[in-house]
Amino acid sequence: MERNLVLVALFAALIAALGLIPRITLGSGIPITAQSMGIMLCGTVLGARRGALAVLLFLGLVALGLPLLAGGRGGLGVFTTPWAGFLFGFPVAAYVTGMVVERVRTGNLNMVAAIASVVGGIGGLYLVAIPYYMIMKPAGLTEALVTAMAPFMPGDLIKAVLAGLITAAIYKARPSAVLSRA
Amino acid sequence: MMFKRATPEAIVGHGVQLNDVTFAVEGRNIISALSLDLAEQRVGIVGRNGSGKSTLARLITGLIAPTEGSVLVAGVDVAKDRKRAIQAVGILFQNPDHQIIFPTVEEEIMFGLTQLGESKVVAKAGAAEVLAQFNRSDWAEKSIYTLSQGQRHLVCLMAILVMQPKVIVLDEPYAGLDIPTMRVLNRYLRGLDQQVLHITHDPHSLTDYDRVLWIEEGRVHREGSAADVLLAFESEMIRLGDVDDLAHIPD
Amino acid sequence: MISLTSPIKTPFHKIPAGVKLGLLSLFTASLFLSETLTMHVGAVALTVAFYLIGGVAFAKSGFKMLKPLWPFLAIIMLWHVVTDTTPAGVLITLKLVAAVGMANLVTMTTRLDEMIVVLEWLMTPLRKLGVRTGAVSIAIALVVRFTPVLAQKATYLGQSWKARSPKRAGWRIVAPFALLAIDDAEHVAEALRARGGIRDETGA
Repeated sequence: MERNLVLVALFAALIAALGLIPRITLGSGIPITAQSMGIMLCGTVLGARRGALAVLLFLGLVALGLPLLAGGRGGLGVFTTPWAGFLFGFPVAAYVTGMVVERVRTGNLNMVAAIASVVGGIGGLYLVAIPYYMIMKPAGLTEALVTAMAPFMPGDLIKAVLAGLITAAIYKARPSAVLSRA
Repeated sequence: MMFKRATPEAIVGHGVQLNDVTFAVEGRNIISALSLDLAEQRVGIVGRNGSGKSTLARLITGLIAPTEGSVLVAGVDVAKDRKRAIQAVGILFQNPDHQIIFPTVEEEIMFGLTQLGESKVVAKAGAAEVLAQFNRSDWAEKSIYTLSQGQRHLVCLMAILVMQPKVIVLDEPYAGLDIPTMRVLNRYLRGLDQQVLHITHDPHSLTDYDRVLWIEEGRVHREGSAADVLLAFESEMIRLGDVDDLAHIPD
Repeated sequence: MISLTSPIKTPFHKIPAGVKLGLLSLFTASLFLSETLTMHVGAVALTVAFYLIGGVAFAKSGFKMLKPLWPFLAIIMLWHVVTDTTPAGVLITLKLVAAVGMANLVTMTTRLDEMIVVLEWLMTPLRKLGVRTGAVSIAIALVVRFTPVLAQKATYLGQSWKARSPKRAGWRIVAPFALLAIDDAEHVAEALRARGGIRDETGA
């Protein structure tokens, strides 16, 4: 009980800390915020249930008024925009990502975690975010795809690949720490 | 070392110079107008927690840039010229877990060499060589996780030495180590050819140093021979402890 | 950790958190249901007026909190101009400024502990269902405590990278960083167990 709760809390803190550190730069010089990669890692490392709980806890603290989103954003205001579907989609993303890693036990973890991050961290996320945007804005599908999806897609794909590499690196260093495979 | 460097651009300067260095965070001076010329082989820096000595270590390594003034190590402006800075100075942090980035010993040691522009092959050879020097060739494939705290410290030291910097900064390298491990590590550090700047709150590890500085509130409080400064520092620390008031003890 | 609550005291600080949240829900719902320009202009005017009650400095910091919204609004306006539906773009822009501004106002005038009390009240039905909600309070405390600790550790790893590389820290430091968080979790879990573990005061 204690161990699970603390892991969930510390991964929520990890997502927050990834938003506080300066942006990491890719080889090509494109800066990305590491925070949404943190969502994917919650799934690939903690697994579906604990991963989603960590993300929910993180979002709860943002709503309560802590500036934990990348760039020091937070409070209730971030939940009242049509893009809030991206936030509401975070726990779903972590859950689906974790579920894929838990189910697919064959193949190398790097590949599995990267694919899981694409399925959950992108597929699951946009499955919530895009309809939410269409209803709340309101907008048609084309408009939603052009204005709410296209700008983030390249970064999200890179993050999924990195999440795979990072999960494999964690597994290599400490197999027991990757609970989705425990 | 035997392996050949792809970047022969030699660093010819010596010593560490601080020119009127101030480092401020949110308007508060952590280091105040500090000028130093450190040429001795073994320089010790003592101070209490919060005296600014850890900030000084990061300034000398160029990890943070001074608010005013400049820091030269072996003639390189370490805050501005990062490419040459990593050839001029290396740092051993207090906690190896805050330093080690890679899962295996070999990868960790190779990292610095690849960052200096070496090929994978040369970096691997360099790692093998430094491991052999320390009689730890069997460590190459080892996972960092299986090593003890003292052994991780040694990995950090090897990862720095392989880059052959002119100056090595030690930031509380013995904190949290048991006595035998501390003695072993100390023996390695004594044998280094490089100029060493050793930052600590423990006066006993500096007794045979060429020069010791006592830093207080971001300024040099006292400096001179190890014997003089360390005696004064230790008696002041004992006096402060005997006052028995935590208000005097920061952090 | 610093929360987004404004240090500048306003009359809104004295209103109970639950009341503010209830009114905010009503305001936001009616805003999203309405279609008329007058309603939207009125909503923005009301929001601005509320901020000004807190004084100019307070209104300024409120305006600053809207800053991340501008690029998004720019994308929306661009879309509507390109598709020749500019009036709809103006409407949505006003709607968002009012909705986000009003929500931020509640955040800026309500302390974290008051918010937590409301959250605990909202969880009452869950508690009746047998969910151990006491753990939530501990989890919140742990996140508040450990976010700065982990950010500090991430900084150390970044410095370790910087000390050996001319390039900026890469994604590679994220794996050792996550491992540090996992190690911390083990230690904190031990410390919790050593002091009696997680008890739920409701006994559920």
